[in-house]
Amino acid sequence: MFDYTYLPEMNLIPYLAEMMVKIVFIFSMNMGVFAPLLGWVERKQSALMQDRIGANRADIFGFTVFGLLHTLTDAIKLLTKEDFIPRGADRTLHYLAPFIAVVPALVAFAVIPFGGQYELWGHKANLVIADLDVGMLYIFAVASVGTYGAVIAGWASNNNWSLLGGIRVGAQMLSYEVAMGLTLVGIFMVYGTLRMTEIGAAQENFFHWGIFLQPVGFFLFIACALAENKRTPFDIPEAESELIAGYFTEYSGLKFAMFWMAEFLEMVTISAVLVALFFGGWQIPFVSHQMLADFFGFLGPNLAQVVTMLIHVGVFWAKVCLWIFILMLIRWTLPRFRYDQVMKLGWKIILPLALINIAVTGAVILLVR
Amino acid sequence: MAGQYKKVNRGVTLTLWERLYIPEVLRGIMITAGHFFPNLISTAKAYITGKPEQRKIMTIYYPEELPTIPEAYRGRPVLVRGADGKEKCVACGLCEVACPPKCISLTGGMRDDGTRYPTTYTLNGAVCIFCGLCEEACPEEAIVMSHDYQNLCEYDRSLMVYDKEALLIPQEKLTRRLDYIRRRMYSKCNY
Amino acid sequence: MQDNRMDLHTEPLILNMGPSHPATHGTVRFLLKMDGERILHCETEIGYLHRGFEKHCENGTWTQAFPYTDRLNYNSAIQNNVAYALAAEKLLGITDKMPDRCTAVRTIMCELARLADHYTNLGAATLELGALTAFLYFVEARELVWDLIESVCGARLTSNYVRIGGLATDLPEGFDAHVKQVFAKNRELWVEFDKLLTKNRIFLDRMRDTGAISKEDAIAYGFTGPCLRAAGVEYDVRKANPYLLYADLDFDVPVGFTGDNFDRYLIRMEEINQSIRIIEQLLTKLPKGPINVDNPAVRNPSKEAVKSVMESMIHHFKNTIEGIKIPAGEAYVPTEGSNGEVGFYLVSTGGGKPWKCRVRPPCFALTQAMGQMVQGAFLSDIIPTFDMINLIGGECDR
Repeated sequence: MFDYTYLPEMNLIPYLAEMMVKIVFIFSMNMGVFAPLLGWVERKQSALMQDRIGANRADIFGFTVFGLLHTLTDAIKLLTKEDFIPRGADRTLHYLAPFIAVVPALVAFAVIPFGGQYELWGHKANLVIADLDVGMLYIFAVASVGTYGAVIAGWASNNNWSLLGGIRVGAQMLSYEVAMGLTLVGIFMVYGTLRMTEIGAAQENFFHWGIFLQPVGFFLFIACALAENKRTPFDIPEAESELIAGYFTEYSGLKFAMFWMAEFLEMVTISAVLVALFFGGWQIPFVSHQMLADFFGFLGPNLAQVVTMLIHVGVFWAKVCLWIFILMLIRWTLPRFRYDQVMKLGWKIILPLALINIAVTGAVILLVR
Repeated sequence: MAGQYKKVNRGVTLTLWERLYIPEVLRGIMITAGHFFPNLISTAKAYITGKPEQRKIMTIYYPEELPTIPEAYRGRPVLVRGADGKEKCVACGLCEVACPPKCISLTGGMRDDGTRYPTTYTLNGAVCIFCGLCEEACPEEAIVMSHDYQNLCEYDRSLMVYDKEALLIPQEKLTRRLDYIRRRMYSKCNY
Repeated sequence: MQDNRMDLHTEPLILNMGPSHPATHGTVRFLLKMDGERILHCETEIGYLHRGFEKHCENGTWTQAFPYTDRLNYNSAIQNNVAYALAAEKLLGITDKMPDRCTAVRTIMCELARLADHYTNLGAATLELGALTAFLYFVEARELVWDLIESVCGARLTSNYVRIGGLATDLPEGFDAHVKQVFAKNRELWVEFDKLLTKNRIFLDRMRDTGAISKEDAIAYGFTGPCLRAAGVEYDVRKANPYLLYADLDFDVPVGFTGDNFDRYLIRMEEINQSIRIIEQLLTKLPKGPINVDNPAVRNPSKEAVKSVMESMIHHFKNTIEGIKIPAGEAYVPTEGSNGEVGFYLVSTGGGKPWKCRVRPPCFALTQAMGQMVQGAFLSDIIPTFDMINLIGGECDR
């Protein structure tokens, strides 16, 4: 039967309050900050990389705010645009697909810790929405649901280009999910847990960061993560010069915006996973939790914990932003693979390398013990 | 004849290290980041100091900043109004004949002092291809390609048909172009 | 084991690629028969940009055809101008009498146009392979070249620069310095582009061994230009049948091995360097003097003469109204366009208008081989192959 022991024995009110705060925080970070802002960042960053200025025409009374208002105009445009459903399309699935695509991207964040554990006024705050013991598996599971969104979108649009995009997305995502799972096995072996908070806590020592313990796993994971994100160089499902827009060719208005948002949210999630697994999560190099708390000790134990918590959360998001920047650099630098080359890379290079990585990791762990 | 046919260096052999994608990705990122950061810094600097020429960027904020137009630029064809306030055109009709898409039409008349002038002159800006053959044909330097390039488009094609009044521009405003065509294009030294 | 695939009822997917598809720029349509991602059959349909160029030319005077030749290959408009002028001058019999400066300036402008064309073509190819940043680096280089062209002839694309028996204008003051400044920047951009792509494995895998065509097939299809040289044929009109000043210039012509897209890419990259070399050579020994032939029946006399000399005035009016009188006959002058052999076959009956003006566009011959080149390849292989063919709708459909 269902095991209730994981529920906290303490009173429920602060627990629920803490939960609500965390959910609202993550939701507003994702939907309120990253989803709209990444569009702007992408425009401006690519522009500066390409010796251009970037979008800057939308203005209110002459104030363009560096083109930030374009996110607003985008929203207005997408909200007021005709919601077009092509003739012969499966209306139900056509409606359903964007939701299936965007929801996993949102909920995957639930298990990613954006801070450590802090004792505030006797209440133990754990800065993760759901501290699952199968943390990473949950992300894999949820991410694979997102594939359905794209595949269904390709199928339901009644368009050959969408269908080809749907086929490509199905093949690519399935292949890379296998490889992605295996690339992370090394990390789980090293830290001995799937629980994301424990992995984060284990990286308090700078030299125990995932990048140092699992360098090969890191590079393999980043390749898989890019492929899961469906952005250049792995954007073959939506390759605009081949398939027009791939599986969302026939989408417009808010449904198109949902696919768009899903892509950006996935990017945030991938960056967060990268940070949590390989780059020490919320940890600052060479500065342990205790050192920070002691440094701010003059504020009293509770306030010191609050300040430490804020610093940790800030560090986590700063690392995420850095990774988003790097992912965007990669996206705007490389050309695109071909369909068969993506498959070859996934099955013939990444998968064997990941298996070798597992074997080597296991051997090293045995030797060290 | 010097120089010959030379085979291209097709043998781009990749070492195992290069076949791993990683060094290429890193090198590519170095290049693009090498554009990103100087551009970011110079743009920020230009924004703070208010000097747009400090930007290391190819493009400009178009309607606020205008590009420099070379002397040879062929913009909207205009009629020249002479120093005496009269049109220089003598309505000989050469521009009408020389125009490849036939966008010019004019009728000539006689002034009281016996000089000819165009009573009507229409240039259909929607048809004009800005080739400059009218300017070349004109024996009086009465129609020249000005350096106008803004606000030439309309939502209604009939608004793009310019009549004589819309085309006549005082000579002083066209000195740059008039000087150029006398010096570089139709001067005797070119023959 | 029995092959179960035979029992399954499958039918190929018919896919209409174009005419309004992001990759089929220049409006062309590929009617594809697909087996999954594989192309079983590719039928190319052209003609969406037909606007009757040849008929236009027959209805205007000889001079009035120049603006229309600009709109054939709009990436390298001046080369079309020059090809047309050379054919007309051959009919007139004044090819030997052309002033030195005119020929030299024409050569410079042809090579500038070749630069612009190759920058655009290579950039567009990378754009369609997904590398937008590399594309914009070459667009930046092309913009600078276009700035040069604009400073000479007043327009970036539709140059309308060459005239029968001369040029529209002379080079502007300070052209040398401007060229030096532009080439310094363009060399930097070339190196960056090269570093971003030439050894990049993703790019190599997309380009190498795709869209290949054998030497024999290439000749049989009537290939010219970089695509023919990529197949290993040593043929360049500038070397084989020199026109303008090319016989006296020191430049190499790159030749490939297998005729695949990577060879075409490498040849275009190398031709950029060679064009820069040619222009720099010419600028050091640019002759002074007139740019137009001293023959008022062919080239309109100067405005000063028109205003002061009666005969000049008459010639000016007659040339403009009736057109230049070109003796009856027919002529064809092959020139090396940036994309292959460009030539105008002109027939005159002695009047002021061309009786027939037929253009030989290079990409027409290249486009007809598309079906063979992508046969059995992947859908994605159409993109680099079509880009390296460099179909220009204005030129192919005329």
